[in-house]
Amino acid sequence: MEIKRIIESGLMETYVMGIATEEEVQQVLLLKKEYPEFKDALENLEMDMEVLAQGMAIMPPAGTLEKIETKINEIQRRSQVVQKIVVPNTGSESGRADKEEKYIEVEAESNQMRVNKAWKWVFIAVFILGKVFLAGAIYFYLENRQAREEIKELKLELKQKIK
Amino acid sequence: MPKAVLNVPSAEPKDIRWFYDKYAAMLLGYINGIVQDHRKSEDYLVSILTAFTAEFGTTEKSQLSIWLELRQYAQSKLAVLTEKHHSLTPAHVNSNGNLDLLDDLQKQIFCAVYYHGKSISQLATAFSSEEDEIRNQLKRSIDKMRRSRGN
Repeated sequence: MEIKRIIESGLMETYVMGIATEEEVQQVLLLKKEYPEFKDALENLEMDMEVLAQGMAIMPPAGTLEKIETKINEIQRRSQVVQKIVVPNTGSESGRADKEEKYIEVEAESNQMRVNKAWKWVFIAVFILGKVFLAGAIYFYLENRQAREEIKELKLELKQKIK
Repeated sequence: MPKAVLNVPSAEPKDIRWFYDKYAAMLLGYINGIVQDHRKSEDYLVSILTAFTAEFGTTEKSQLSIWLELRQYAQSKLAVLTEKHHSLTPAHVNSNGNLDLLDDLQKQIFCAVYYHGKSISQLATAFSSEEDEIRNQLKRSIDKMRRSRGN
């Protein structure tokens, strides 16, 4: 029979060994669907390949399962964080909740302060005004000192005239 | 510690422990056949089984059995190593006597395909042989091992 010849052709073996071409894979899937005999033979072969691998098995050392569980838990935690960042807000929550969804809260220490660039001109104006007031204060101080000295001299002159 | 559960439909409740109990020893034996180093094999086992279980159920369902899918997944992950180090001389493998049933040519062909994913055409070129002959030898080698188990 034709199907028996196909089963004996080595097609199933190349398929289960993972080296079948795309054309052969399609052929196997079609035969599996159409011929129960082929399907049974393929399933038996798959099972036998598993038994063969069991015969070549090596027991992993203790602690291997824990390592895998830890790694998977890490992956799941990471993907949950990513989902939290990516998933858009559905609309019913408040603005604060929206902010919490978009940003991850982190603890950080820094002695730097960030200031909006618009403040630059305010700081320059304050600096210039400071200089103007300082110059004014020095000018009036000197004026005042000169005036006092003049008054002192006038008083002395007056005293001498009275005498 | 929370128990990590795979992202698979509830109809197939397969957690990591299930995968580990069923396939870890088989996979380690398989990886060791490729890597030929126990320490490295154990490291690869952890990373491959982790990646496979994490991806299992998220990708398109394969027509292959889980073991064959896992074996091919491991083979593709270790492809860089197999490309670098592979020679057609079969390395020492803990085969529980299975490979001893094969003659040298069958052993070479089986190991090149099973561990290193060599195609029929690649082997036909390497052995200066017809593709049908390589395919036949591969089938015969698998049949011999199956028969020895009474199948």
